[in-house]
Amino acid sequence: MVATLEETKTAAKARQVLCGEVKHLLVDRLGLSVDPDLIGDDQPLFGRGLELDSIDTLELAMAVEEKFGVMITDDDTESLLSLNRLVDYVEGNR
Amino acid sequence: MTAAPSVRPGGLSADEIARLLPHRYPFALLDRVTSVEPGVRAEAIKNVTASDPVLAGHFPGRMLYPGVLLVECVAQLAAVIYGSAAATRSTGELVADVAERVGYLAEIKQAKFLRTVLPGDQVVVRAQAGPRMGDLMSVTGQASVGRDVVMTARLVVTERDSE
Repeated sequence: MVATLEETKTAAKARQVLCGEVKHLLVDRLGLSVDPDLIGDDQPLFGRGLELDSIDTLELAMAVEEKFGVMITDDDTESLLSLNRLVDYVEGNR
Repeated sequence: MTAAPSVRPGGLSADEIARLLPHRYPFALLDRVTSVEPGVRAEAIKNVTASDPVLAGHFPGRMLYPGVLLVECVAQLAAVIYGSAAATRSTGELVADVAERVGYLAEIKQAKFLRTVLPGDQVVVRAQAGPRMGDLMSVTGQASVGRDVVMTARLVVTERDSE
């Protein structure tokens, strides 16, 4: 099936909105001192990206479950590697 | 090993707590667990006494039970929650020698101290396990004296998996 230009635009817009929501969620729940709108979509969440640590994974998983109703378990922690992967996971599971 | 006397059905004596936790004097803070739902929640008593050596230094002439030790009470009760769950899984009993499972206090997300705790106070400590991921477990806790809530806290603790 081929998506029309309009459908593609709508999907892209929805994705952009979701990315924004996830960025704000990250900043709010983890108390990051960064402007959510300056977080890049490909930015890694851990290490030299947003500098989250392993203890933050639990808070992040709790926040994602509360806001989007999507549960992240021990087996899905790869979805927390970057913002895009997290958004993919939320999109695919809600 | 002779079983320590249990305080009441569903509760744990100080000797039984010592089988779940590695903490010993002067850092075994809970006197009695009054109820426990393994893996889920627990309630305990901490009696504060003037002969507690920590009060000799906190503070001379103005004895106050340290707030950080109330936080530690919640952390120890969290270990009772997962320790009793591990004991139940492996033996079917609430208590077993599972102290090696106790990990670390990983995070204090929030703590609020609403009232001072003084010698003679009986502190009731409550803890409720929250979501888990890997070896991390979130915990919400509360301490109260009589009807007054004296402390609330949200923590993350770790459990070492030795199974």
